[in-house]
Amino acid sequence: MADKKKIRVLLAQFPLESHNRGLITVAGMLRDAGMEVILMGNARSENIVGTALQEAVDVVGISTYCGGELAQGKELMSLAEKKGIKDRTVFILGGIYPPSDEPKLKQIGFSAVFPPSSSKEDIVSGIQCAIATKS
Amino acid sequence: MSKEQTTKEILQEKLAGKRTPLYSQATLKKLALEFDRWKNSCVREQDRQNWWVTPHTILGSEVPRELLYTPLSNADFDYMKDAGFSGEEPFTRGIHSNMYRGRVFTMRQIFGAGSPEYVNKRMKSLLAHGATGTNWALDLATVQMFDSDEPEALGQVATVGVPIDCVEDMEVICKDVPIDKVSNSIITHFPRNTAIIFPMFLVMAERRGVPWDKLPGSVQNDFIMESLVRSAVEYIPPKDDFRVQCDNIEFIRKNVPQWNFVTLNGYNLREWGTSGVTEMAVALANAIDTLKVMEKRGHDVDWVGERLAFFWAPANDFFEEVARLRAVRRLWYKIMKYRFGCKSTRSMWMRCHVQTSGVSLTREEPMNNVVRAAYQALAAVLGGAQSLHVDSYDEAYSVPSEEASILSLRTQQIIEAETQVTQVVDPLGGSFYIENLTNEMEKRILDELDEIERRGGLAETVASGWLHNRVSRFVEKEQRQIASGEIKVVGRNTYRATDLKMPEVWVHEYDEEVAKEMKDKLTRLRQRRDNEKASNALAALVQACKKGDNVMQYTLECARADCTKGEMRRAFVEAFGLWKSPIYVS
Repeated sequence: MADKKKIRVLLAQFPLESHNRGLITVAGMLRDAGMEVILMGNARSENIVGTALQEAVDVVGISTYCGGELAQGKELMSLAEKKGIKDRTVFILGGIYPPSDEPKLKQIGFSAVFPPSSSKEDIVSGIQCAIATKS
Repeated sequence: MSKEQTTKEILQEKLAGKRTPLYSQATLKKLALEFDRWKNSCVREQDRQNWWVTPHTILGSEVPRELLYTPLSNADFDYMKDAGFSGEEPFTRGIHSNMYRGRVFTMRQIFGAGSPEYVNKRMKSLLAHGATGTNWALDLATVQMFDSDEPEALGQVATVGVPIDCVEDMEVICKDVPIDKVSNSIITHFPRNTAIIFPMFLVMAERRGVPWDKLPGSVQNDFIMESLVRSAVEYIPPKDDFRVQCDNIEFIRKNVPQWNFVTLNGYNLREWGTSGVTEMAVALANAIDTLKVMEKRGHDVDWVGERLAFFWAPANDFFEEVARLRAVRRLWYKIMKYRFGCKSTRSMWMRCHVQTSGVSLTREEPMNNVVRAAYQALAAVLGGAQSLHVDSYDEAYSVPSEEASILSLRTQQIIEAETQVTQVVDPLGGSFYIENLTNEMEKRILDELDEIERRGGLAETVASGWLHNRVSRFVEKEQRQIASGEIKVVGRNTYRATDLKMPEVWVHEYDEEVAKEMKDKLTRLRQRRDNEKASNALAALVQACKKGDNVMQYTLECARADCTKGEMRRAFVEAFGLWKSPIYVS
């Protein structure tokens, strides 16, 4: 276990999201699970992709509460594709979104989505599964 | 250098006088013997061992509780000093003598996701159905002060509130609404947002010929919301932000005398992740620091104090919530009377709006949330709140549906019309438990206030990241307590159903048309207006920020020149520079 490379996760939210309790909570959970977390906070999609590239992260996690996740998510994915990181990076999203958006979010490229009340185990195993599927 | 006394030190000094205990020493002595006899003979050994229990609840303060409370729990209880009569000092039992018999709590539900035209229709329909006030939510682009056509606003225009880019939008929202009669609560959240959006309301009134001194309503204008609670791509330094809050208060007090210029917001801080004690300590620290600035600027404390109002979040620990409201009412009175020497009774009133907790609601079995919100609302009413919003059961899914909003309103109406709890003032007052818990909460709130003051005051504890760290630690600890089952959440970690079915919930559809219309409107505005006048007004705003002039006089000129909210936001950033929230430095 000790020589196994730590999973690196970038946690961010879209520019106008004004809640970050979820982001802080998930950062704590992932650190507890032995992952390396870069807590970026609010950022424009190009900066999220830029940081993901620069920090060579395995996972990009987006926290959302107030809607707009489909429109912003599409933009994020197209930038990730342009920069060539979409295939090797796992994108996940969590927070408050209408249940009917779940298939749409997966369709645009989020490997896993997590509603409120998701446990540490749900999120950690979701990430591990998604990484295993990618590689 | 002489050290300034803290509020706690001042109160300890000024309130050191003689007390008149309700219970005589002889009675207490006899009672103590009886109590020992009972405890040792009637109470089981294991209950004696676990006499104190610490409740673990979402957003709770973990104040230990005894098995049974008696007069011995509060032996020096001085009725007139600690409780008194409603409508009189120390206001523990309520700010009005007749409380809800005189006026029932205002039922103020938030509304407003949609275009300015739609919100105008909704507002008129609510008013036609007998609403006496409005409470408009702004969309996230407006809250964060980005124009509807900035790239950041993608997917956010009109999603969770109404978009306002310029005076024209304000004119649409308020068309045919009697703004001199209806009280409009505009949820502007932050100082900068208030400085930008509220002048648009004033210019709209001006263009309609309605004098500003006839306008009733309120704005939020709370720097805690902007610098501490909010997550954002851009922050200005907390001390500048605090100054903008004070500028707004000063300008509105002078020029719009019926308007409530600040809502000291504990709610969002607590919901972000903190106990009810910290929530109140921070809001009180904000009030105290604001009043100190107003005194320095030469204003009478009563001139400002009479219109201060608070905003609280009740969570699940029922009796703690009741006690907390009683405690902060008494503490606020002491601060205003003894710390600031207020003369006006109204300044000593802790008036508050209460909204039930969103964080305590679950996505699993959402109908359980109706029950949670009802208990929280009942605690607020038993605690003597002036105004109430009940959260809807579907909030873990989306912006509340119409049906869920009505159920929230009905929850309030059932408390008011059916339970009869409003007939008797402060019905829990005098309970050995409640009076003891009220004292305990007051003490803890004052201790935390003292800690903030010793660390240099509120703006300093925000700028240094001390408060951010406190919240982060609270949130992480709470999450572990939920995961371990120490904090019980029914339907999630306790009594969890094995065959959980997702309910059918209404989904708020995003309307791309509104965003397009807003963008077109902005393009037309920039073509139509006098652009030189607009850029001069913005340049003057930058200078005013730098020189220390009251900023609202200048944002008002910007609104008159049809500047947009995004342009004004950038002027503030140009003047003050950017600050990085300590949450993200890791």
